[in-house]
Formats: sequence, C-alpha cells, structure tokens
Amino acid sequence: MRSRDFTLPLLALGLLLVIIASERVTSPKSEPGPVHIAYWEKWTGFEGDAMQEVVNAFNKKQNRIYVDLLTVSNIQNKTLLAVAGGNPPDVAGLFGPNMAQYADDNAVIPLDDYCREYGIDASHYVPIYFDLGYYHNHIYSLPSTPASTALHYNKKMFADAHLDPEKPPKTIEEMDAMAEKITTFDAQHRLDLSGFMPAEPGWWNWGWGYVFGGRLWDGDKTITAADPGNIRAMEWVQSYSKKYGAAELQTFRSGFGNFSSPQNAFLSSKVAMELQGVWMYNFIDQYAPQLEKPTLNWAAVPFPHPANRPDLADTTFADEDILVIPRGAKHPKEAFAFIAYVQSQEGMELLCLGQKKHSPLAQVSEDFYRKHPNPYIRLFADMPKGKNVLSPPKLAIWPEYQAELSNAFDEIALLKATPEEALKHVQERMQPKMDEYLERLRLRNQKEGRVP
Amino acid sequence: MKNRHRETVTALLFASPWLIGFCLFLLYPLMASLYYSFCDYSVLHPPVWVGTENYRDLFHDEVFWITLKNTGLFAALALPMGMFVAISLALMLNAKIKGMTIYRTLFYVPSLVPGASLAMLGLWVFNGQHGVLNAVLDPLLNAFPKFLHLVFHVPLHHIEPPGWMSDPTWSKPALVILGIWGAGNSMVIYLAGLQDVPQALYEAAELDGAGWWAKTRHVTLPMLSPVILFNMIMGIIGTLQVFTLPYIMFPGGTPARSTYFYTMYLYDNAFVYLKMGYACAMGWIMFLIILALTFTALKVSEKRVHYSGG
Amino acid sequence: MAAAALKSKHQDPNRQKNPLVLHIALALLSFVFTFPLIWMLLTSVKPLEETMSTNIVWIPSKILLHNYYDAFVYHSDKLGYIPFLVYGRNTLLVCALVVAGTVCSNAVVAYAFARLRWPGRELAFSITLATMMIPFPVLMVPIYALFKNFGWVGTFRPLWVPAWFGSAFNIFLLRQFFRTIPFELSEAARLDGCSEWQIFRQVILPLSKPALAVVALFSFMGTWNDFLGPMIYLVDQKTFTLGLGLQAYQSQHGGTPWNLLMAASAMVMLPIILLFFFAQKQFIQGIAVTGLKG
Repeated sequence: MRSRDFTLPLLALGLLLVIIASERVTSPKSEPGPVHIAYWEKWTGFEGDAMQEVVNAFNKKQNRIYVDLLTVSNIQNKTLLAVAGGNPPDVAGLFGPNMAQYADDNAVIPLDDYCREYGIDASHYVPIYFDLGYYHNHIYSLPSTPASTALHYNKKMFADAHLDPEKPPKTIEEMDAMAEKITTFDAQHRLDLSGFMPAEPGWWNWGWGYVFGGRLWDGDKTITAADPGNIRAMEWVQSYSKKYGAAELQTFRSGFGNFSSPQNAFLSSKVAMELQGVWMYNFIDQYAPQLEKPTLNWAAVPFPHPANRPDLADTTFADEDILVIPRGAKHPKEAFAFIAYVQSQEGMELLCLGQKKHSPLAQVSEDFYRKHPNPYIRLFADMPKGKNVLSPPKLAIWPEYQAELSNAFDEIALLKATPEEALKHVQERMQPKMDEYLERLRLRNQKEGRVP
Repeated sequence: MKNRHRETVTALLFASPWLIGFCLFLLYPLMASLYYSFCDYSVLHPPVWVGTENYRDLFHDEVFWITLKNTGLFAALALPMGMFVAISLALMLNAKIKGMTIYRTLFYVPSLVPGASLAMLGLWVFNGQHGVLNAVLDPLLNAFPKFLHLVFHVPLHHIEPPGWMSDPTWSKPALVILGIWGAGNSMVIYLAGLQDVPQALYEAAELDGAGWWAKTRHVTLPMLSPVILFNMIMGIIGTLQVFTLPYIMFPGGTPARSTYFYTMYLYDNAFVYLKMGYACAMGWIMFLIILALTFTALKVSEKRVHYSGG
Repeated sequence: MAAAALKSKHQDPNRQKNPLVLHIALALLSFVFTFPLIWMLLTSVKPLEETMSTNIVWIPSKILLHNYYDAFVYHSDKLGYIPFLVYGRNTLLVCALVVAGTVCSNAVVAYAFARLRWPGRELAFSITLATMMIPFPVLMVPIYALFKNFGWVGTFRPLWVPAWFGSAFNIFLLRQFFRTIPFELSEAARLDGCSEWQIFRQVILPLSKPALAVVALFSFMGTWNDFLGPMIYLVDQKTFTLGLGLQAYQSQHGGTPWNLLMAASAMVMLPIILLFFFAQKQFIQGIAVTGLKG
C-alpha cells in the first residue's frame, strides 16, 4: 500500500513537466530588435500570398518595424473578442461594412492624426473608397483592396440563343427579354439554362433597390425600406419567380456547385448574365478556361438601368476590405506606419495586382494596367468614379437590417409575400430598432462622457 | 456531533475543486450574464442599465418567436426520431453474433465525424438537383406511377423529390436526417444499459411464452427506462441548442428563416449585431425553458421509469 | 429452480436464432451509417477536380495516396515547420492535461457527493445537474473576460485549467458509480483507522477503474475534436490544435482543397476510431457499470 502511493507524486511531477513544456510552447519570446506588430488578415490562397508579399516588402524596406501576418478565420468575431479581452492585434483587416459598428462601439481608433502626419487625405483616393472609411467626421479605416461590380455575361450563350454577343443589354427591360430567349427547359420541364436570375449569386439581394433608384435610409435617422424604388426592384425580382416558377428557380439554383468551383453557375455556363465583382476574373481564369480560350467568351459591362431612368446608368456597387487599428493595440504608431505603406502607390499596386483587383487610389501607374491580366480592369476602376456608385449604408445596425432585407427577398422570391407587404414589414421592424439603437448610443456616450 | 462536523469539513474539502470551479466558471459568468441581460451591452463598452427593456423587446420580436417555433418543431422531430433509431440500433447490436465489435464501431464512428465535416457532407447529400438522396429517391418515388402507367395506362406524372435545401417545408427534416448520423453516442449508452438487464427476466418471459416483441416491450424497455430518461434529458438539452449543422448548411437560416434556430439568433445577436445584453436575455430564457422541460420530464416519468436498484 | 434448469438448455437468450438475417440487416444499415466516412475516405484520395464536380464522382478515377502526404506537409514551406506535427503535439498536450484533470477532479468531487454526508448535499447536487442545462453562448463572454483578466488568452490554460475543477456530467457519472460500491467496505476501512483520503485512494479508486476509464475516454474524445474553445482562445498558429488546424485547409474565399481537407480529417479521426475499436468492450461495460440511472 505504501509503495503505491508514489503514483500520485509521480503523476503530479509528470504534469508539472507537461505544464512547463506547454508554457514554453505558448509564451512569446521577446527578442531585441525591431518592434513586432501583429497583423490579422482574413485572406488565404493567392489573395493571402499577395498580402504576404506586401508585408515582406515593407519588412525589407526598413528595419524598425517587423510585421507578423497571421491568417485568421472568422476575423470579425475574433477581433471583437480580442478587443473586448484587451488583447487585440495591432492591425486588423476587416470587411468594409464592419466599420460603422466598430466605430460606434469605440472598438477601433480614429486615424485622423496619423493621416495628417503622413499626409494622407481624401484627395489621395477615388472618393468612394475614402468615404467608406469616413464616419461621423473621423477616419476610422483605410482601404486594403477595393471592389466594384458589373454585369458579366457569357458571349457563347448569347450566340447560342441567336443574340448578338457584342450587344449586351443596356436596360433592365432588354436584359429581361434576352434572359427569356436564353432560358431553356429540359424534357421534364425543369430549368436547363437560365439567362439571368435575380437571386444569383445572392450577394446583393439587399441592393436591387438601388438599381431602381431606391434608397435604404435617409443618411441620418430614418429607415426607408419601403421606398418606391425598392418596391419596384422587388416587383422585378418577383416577376422572375412568376415567369419561371418560384420552385423551379429554387431547385435550379440549389444545383449549382460551390462558388469557387468549376460548377459555379456562371463558370459552368448555366446562367448567362450575372452581377459580379472585379474578382470574378480570377475564378474564370482558374476554373473556366473555356471562357477565355480560344477567344474571349465573356465580357463585363455596366449593369443595365430601368428604361425610364437613364439617369441611373452605370450603376455599380462599391465595397472594400479595410485596415483598422483596434482599440488597445500595443503599437498603434508602428501599425500605422505599415498601413501608410499599404496606402502608398507602390504598396497598393503590389497588393491589388497580386489580388488582381483595381486600385482605390486616385493615382494609378500605366504600368499597373499594362501588367493587369483582367481585360476589363479599366471598367472596374472607372465605374466607381461615376455618380451612381453605391455602397452598403454606413449604419451600425446594418448587419441586422441586411438580414431583414435578405429574408424579405426570400419571401418575395418564393411568392410568400408581395413586395409591398414584405418591405413594409422590414420598415416596421427596423425603424424601432434604429430609434432604440440611437437612444442607447446616446445613453452610452453620455455615460462615458464621449461626444459622438 | 463532532464526527458529523468533521465529516462535513472532509466532504467540503473533497468537493472544493467543484465548489471553486462552480463559482468561478459557472456562477460568476451566469450572474454576469444575468446582469448584462438587463443592460445595453455590446462587449466593447461598459454595460448601461436599461431595466427589462431587452425582455420586453424580445416579447415583441417576431424573429425571436420564429426561432423559438423552429427550434421547438425541430426538437419535436429530432428527439423521438433520434431516440427511436438509437434504441433500435442498440437492440440489434446487443445480439451475440460474430463480428459485433466491427458493427458497433461502424455505427459509432459517424458520431465522431467533426460537425463541420458532417455539415459539408450534408450539402452534398441533400442538394435538390444533384444530391445523393434525391438520386436514390427519384426512381423510388416514380416506380409506382410508372407501374400504373405501364399496366393501366394512367397518364404518367413525374413526381419530384423534395428540394431539401431550398424548400422551407423540407429543410428541417433534412437536418433531422443528418442528425441521425450522430446517434452513435446515445446508442452506446443504451447498449450499456442493455448489458444490465438481468438474463433471468428474459428466461422467465420465455417461460411465459413471450415472443421477441413481447420480451422487448415488457422486459427490455422497462429495464431500459432510466437510461431512456437520461438520454431524453440530454437530448432535450442538445436539440434545443442545435447550432453547428444549420449554421454551416443554412447560413442565415435560409430558406425564408425556416432553419433559423434559437441558438443561431442568439449567436447573431451576440457576435454579429453586438447586442450582447439582448443575447444574454435570450440565453436566460432558453435556460429557463430547458429547466422547465427537464423538470417536467422528470415529474412525468416518475411513475413510468423503473429503477431496479434503490 | 425451473429457470436455472432451463438455462443449460437455452444458454443465452440474446443469441440469435438466425444470425444471417441480422448480419444482412446490420451490413446494410452500417453502410448507410458509415456513408459519411466512406465518402470522406473516397474524397481524400480523389484528384481535386473530381471533388468539386456537380455530378457526383463516386469512385475516384485514380487513387492519389500522396494527398495524405500533401495534407501532412500542407503550408510547411510557409510556416517553416510541419504544421500537422505541431498541431498534433499541441492537441496531445492539451488532451493529456484535460484527461488528467478531469479524472482527478471529478473522482474527488464525486466521492464527496456519493459517499460523504454533509448538509446541503442534495441541493448542491441538484444545482450541479442544473448547470448542464446552461446554454454555452451565455457564458462565453464573461468567461472570456475572466481569462483575459488572468492574462491567459493566447495560452493553453483556458483550455485545460477548467478541467481541473470538475464538470457536472462527469460528477454525475462517477457519483452514480461510487454509490454502487457497498458501504460496508468503507465502514470496515474506517474501523481499521483509515482516513477518508485513504479510503478513497485505496478502496474506492481501485474498484472504479472502468468508470474512470469512461470518463477519461469521453473527455479525451471531446478535447480531441473541440473546435470552439481553441478558436476563441488560441491566436498563434504555432499553438493551434488539430481541430482548429483543420480549419486552415478551409479557405474563406473558396478554393478549399477538399481532397486534402478530407485526408487531414481522416488522419485526425483515425486515432479515435482505433481507440474506440480496441476499447469498445471496456467502454460499453464501463458505461454499463456506472448505470446512468437517476
């Protein structure tokens, strides 16, 4: 009995060793030399590689600061928890629409002073891409890479339906008519090919109202979900469900493969016309070489406008990935030095060329366009400079508003509600939430003695 | 008296890890979240007291009711289904035949597949157009009409298998079916319970001329009832908190919020809308619901559950 | 006794009269049940194109075993080490600490609930059971804040320290088992002058090996597959566990190498499957003796 009691101390000793080992694995080593700043980014694959290259270039350029890039999945949540926990990275690469929420909550620091120091201001950018980070008279974020959208169409499918591949639709009505010609059914009356589907790819279901001149809020305190333009857009969405059958469209859509695969609806030539962003080229290049060779079988053109609203021509959705400095970051100064490098023409062109996007900066070198593989890159670069450039509202309750709009879209597309009913319903739900949010924000700021 | 006192001190010493752990990792967070549920709190700024506003808002929040209804429906489907499958499997796997070790392992292993991988697989199985399930169902569903058509010349009408992922009516059953793959865990517990059934009872039943069904109905199930109760309570807790599968398979609870479950809405409120106070209020309501259901289950089962021991 | 007399004739009532029917039924069902696994294994040896085809490719056109090697060294060039080995070591470390903590702490605590009398015991036990019903998201933020105050975020400590303080499920399990051990044994030891600790160590624990094994196995499996905890608390890629590391094969912007993801998943699952296969009898008996009865 005595001897057996050695097991316990032995076990404890073993554990102690394990714990010491675990601490050695996990504790960061502090080395003398450059200041290490932690940079969290969401990208993987070639997009991540492009950012890594920019980081390497920055690290090589000077020896004062060393950026450690870490790929983080689910970055919004993790950054949020890290800020709440007081242990955030020095730089975080978030999504554009996160900014208002984080700024309202004081989770990211304003960059105005740093920008002044480095001489970065609005004139440095294509206006929309600066504007997306500007909120309540402060700069809260600067772009990493931008996005804009255009109508992508499949020339071969046009030709197969006896349409002129060089004459894409200019108006919504033309597009609807062409879509009808392209759409075919199989023997069992199931959709075989589709000309256009408002639900595909489904990333701007909340935004169709903009295309018809609708607005989602008044820019201040009022939600305008049931704006006549929005209702008209949803009537247009519903017209597709009525024409082709709600269930048929749903079933057809559910058969599409993963977005990033050769079975993507557009890449597999199942859907002829799609609203897509500047990134689409990368996926065409990777998964659908038949659209590029032997001849260029796809094209990007401005999205059509309603026939009676020529003033809405060249509508594009602009968005961007952003760089922010979370509150509580240990080296904000050094962090901004890196952000400023990304904003330089050199850094930005390296990044955007690597990710095959356009540059958000006002100054772009000819070399950039010469090297750029996307044949339509100038279209994506120029459209955001126009007057019909649209972006998600800079509203802290936008994620919730967007969820409501997506649900309304579903109900409308499934013919479960009329556009007017569904949007009025969104209005009735969101306005009280907006009011309550503003009231609570006021209380918070009052308590913290902060002036918004 | 002194002995009593000493035993209490010893007991408390033995229980001390849990007492500390309970206070630190459960009681404190629980009380904190109770406090937050009466606050406007976004994690990023100090909470501001708003009284019962969160609870009042919840009462008028239609999405809250939708998710509650969805979750209730899902549990009502998944719980009996899961229990039926797990018990049936356990009964089969309790037989003594060669190779049982392999069968047991085979049935248990799917419950080890990480949730995220299972969800990805579900996307393939239930795909309306190219899914494996519909590839099997389509000929089965149409066999009878085809037969009628061939023999009685009834006009042929093609029956479409359900659009599991796109039709609000079928999305919940799809999740229920997928969940059955994870039945292995409770199956193992039933199996263990079956080992406990005294052989003498079966022999006595056989003497009375009982067949397989009678033995199952009058011996096995009553003897298994405590384990069934245990699994049922665990099942209530688990199904009401369903999260990973729908979260990955149906982002946002599509189509038309038919797969938007309580925990998903709670998670969205907490980490997407940054309404942590609201989320905590939801959590507390869920806590109370689970508590009430468990209590009811225990009360109702009091007379039906057979305890062999004391 | 009639029953005893019959026993020699009937031997075992559970023995199947026509095992062939059962074999066929079980084989068919087990195919349905292992379908996810079969699909996973098939995918893990496919060329990438075939994993993404809309028309399902069942049988790979060629079997690429080197997918497993590729998955094993995935990203090694970028990180400067073989991530799979690092993730594996981290996971084992956390598992070891969690299993040790779970077994030690829950055994001690369950002893207090099962075999010692103290005022408020029944109430404390009910509360303990009730804690199983708390939805985790409710606790997530306060707990995160707690660990942050301890300065533990980014280390393994949030993952294993709580295991040393007991958990309701395991306490319940062990308490049920400890109660089945005859109290006379304890009384006898007490008369011999043993302290409670000695009774626990020298009488109860040696008799409880199957139950302790179940607790150890459950906690090992739970920790091995855990995703949420590591996701919240670990930051540095060098500290990632296997469950979290699998995420590295999954790309947010698409382009996931499905075949490698599945190969990696298979490698992660293999140890647990083997563990269950070889331990299943003890495992099931262990659960049986704990008798999960209220």
